[in-house]
Amino acid sequence: MNLRFLLFFLLMLMLEPVYAQDPVFKIHSVKYKIGDQADWSAKALNDAHWIRKAPKIQDNQILWYRYSIDILKAPESLRQYGIQLEAYGEYEIFWDGIMIGKNGNPGQEGEMPSEGELWTTFSIPNHLSNSGNHVLALRASLHYFPDHTRIDDLEIDYYDDLLTRGSVKNAYMHIFAGAFLITSLYFFFLFLSNKKAYSTLVFSICCFLVFALTLTVYSKGYIPMHYSLHVIRLQIISTFLLGISFLIPFYFSMQFPYPRQKIALFIYGVILLSIFFLNHHAFDFKAFNMVVSMWFFSFGIVLYGGYKKIKGARLVLLTLLLSLGVYFATSFSISLYVGLGLILLGMLYLLSINIKEQRLAYENSLVQSSRLRLELLKKNIQPHFLMNTLTSLIDWIEEAPKKGVLFIEALAKEFDLINQMENKTLVPISQEIELCRTHLEIMKYRKEINYSWIEEGIDFEQKIPPAVLHTLLENGITHSLPLADNSIKFKLLFESKSDYNYYTFLTIATTVKDTTNRIEEGTGLKYIKARLTESYQTKWDFSSEPTRNGWKNVIKIYS
Amino acid sequence: MNILIVEDEARIAKRIERMTRTIFGSALQSITLSSSFQEALHYIENNVLDFVLLDLNLNGENGFDLLTTSVSKSFHTIIISANKDQAITAFEYGVLDFVPKPFNQERLEQAFNRATTKETSEGHELKLLAIKKRGRVQLVPIEELLYIKGAGTYTELFLKNGTKELHDKSLEKLEQLLSRTFIRIHKSYLVKISEVKEIIVKSGSKYWAELKNGELIPIGRTKYKILKERWL
Repeated sequence: MNLRFLLFFLLMLMLEPVYAQDPVFKIHSVKYKIGDQADWSAKALNDAHWIRKAPKIQDNQILWYRYSIDILKAPESLRQYGIQLEAYGEYEIFWDGIMIGKNGNPGQEGEMPSEGELWTTFSIPNHLSNSGNHVLALRASLHYFPDHTRIDDLEIDYYDDLLTRGSVKNAYMHIFAGAFLITSLYFFFLFLSNKKAYSTLVFSICCFLVFALTLTVYSKGYIPMHYSLHVIRLQIISTFLLGISFLIPFYFSMQFPYPRQKIALFIYGVILLSIFFLNHHAFDFKAFNMVVSMWFFSFGIVLYGGYKKIKGARLVLLTLLLSLGVYFATSFSISLYVGLGLILLGMLYLLSINIKEQRLAYENSLVQSSRLRLELLKKNIQPHFLMNTLTSLIDWIEEAPKKGVLFIEALAKEFDLINQMENKTLVPISQEIELCRTHLEIMKYRKEINYSWIEEGIDFEQKIPPAVLHTLLENGITHSLPLADNSIKFKLLFESKSDYNYYTFLTIATTVKDTTNRIEEGTGLKYIKARLTESYQTKWDFSSEPTRNGWKNVIKIYS
Repeated sequence: MNILIVEDEARIAKRIERMTRTIFGSALQSITLSSSFQEALHYIENNVLDFVLLDLNLNGENGFDLLTTSVSKSFHTIIISANKDQAITAFEYGVLDFVPKPFNQERLEQAFNRATTKETSEGHELKLLAIKKRGRVQLVPIEELLYIKGAGTYTELFLKNGTKELHDKSLEKLEQLLSRTFIRIHKSYLVKISEVKEIIVKSGSKYWAELKNGELIPIGRTKYKILKERWL
């Protein structure tokens, strides 16, 4: 899917500086002068007395820039050089004294609406682009940021290359962003279908923020913007970075839990916010520090995860180290996107591990559930029960047919009750009690013992996993011998406490000797525990122990 | 006839008792019901019996301990059980018959008949013989056994390793259990057919069976024909 795209564009980004050509120009010096004279653009002007440090200017003052530039190589025939600027202010631009363009209305910004763009490209007349020295002059005003007298970026190259290069890069970056948008949407929908999977949501938001960041940064080629709005753009970018810088370590904290997580995340949040707010206008500084903090914190968490041998930690550690390598090999702006891409890939990998584990757990629970269903159904056909019952039944029919019929009826009722419960994970307590009473009826015919059933405090609104009490009853019947009066009593008590309900199931009988030192857990107890886990996960307790006059089982269900 | 019934299902125990009484009629001297292994073991150790009818699953316990003790005794053991999958193991231990539940009187009678008639437990191979040694029950694999010599009410088992063990069952009872691989060649000898190397005729038409280890065992006059048939 978009994974391959991602890798491809990460590679493209890394290769970009490799295929960039040698520059065709060299800047010798920049000089400034406040004031305004028409001939200041002239190539031959003596600017020896101009200042070399960018001055602060007053509102609506005009500032002249003079760049002494060497063209190293004349353009090929039929091709034309151009100049690309990222500069604050509105200005007129002169090349060797000839005005080659106008960006806004310098000196009239206060009176006229904002015009002109932050990023501009002008063509240089062919006859003025021979190799040798040239003068670039700017007549500028900086109504909105008078203290920002500088040109952030100046590039001279073939005019059409300047125009297309940006769009090609933009196209790549937009596909890069698109991959993250799709990933983000996909995992957002995944989260909507399973609202407990917060890591999916965090990952989705991370992807969305990377998408938004990339789009904001690389939309400059086609969204014209006045320089007065640039700070807002940078603030938006910083905010996205803030979000990313917090969420990535947050995500890793979810995947690789460590002690005092909340405190650590809180402190980290405070650090990020202080970076964000303290240096008000140093946007590059902010971005760099936030991303570096993110990297170190994430690295720490993943390292701990690796130390704890949590699945996937090693691969994520590798992506983090790789992003560090990219940073040292290229520039911050390139390594930011490559690095984020790599880290998000690592996060995606973790998520895929999670999803796989969830799937396995789900499949496991399905298998477990059907196993429990089978075990419930097996109760009535396992040979010990069935054949002994049938033998007794034959005997009753041969010796006392009327009683035999009653026996068959009891048997039919138990079969019916089990069938009703077969596909349920919880049944009304009344149904379970009925099942127990029916079972005792059958066992009376088989064992000719006076079984009795007593219940106390039962809340008939309650539900219980099927055949749990029935299994306890079976165990009670199997492992007990009757009292002197040929009777065995079973007692079921229910009590409700503030945070849990509990059932006490008592067998009052003579216990079979030697059973006390058998630690081995029978299939019956395993069935009960599996059923309780199926319905209440870990919120239950079960104990089973001999007492002076029989056996005591306690089932606690926490609310 | 003295019979012990080990069964924890009251109704079934009564059924077995009733049918046994019908089968043996006045030949029956005593019949005892027991519903726990401990009780049954105690009874077996202290009473003279002809049959023990045993259910292998009582009160959730496995009755193989009682089974090994029971089969080491002089009487025959018959298993009456709901778990058919225990039948093969039971036969390997040397029970006379395995009666699966539910059963009727005919089936029970058939089981008893195995002891009184010459009907042999065909199709089931005995693999172990339980013997009592120094107060404990030990299992001797049948393949270790060469021949058995009757010695009054008990028997002597002669093993491949040259040792001799005593068994509480009579030669007749062991013959009933071992008839697939052993043959009665003399009123006092039961020999594993596969161990017989040669039949030697001596003067006065006395026959001897020479075993693979060189031992000579007398062949009864009336048994010679049967041996020759089966051996060849």
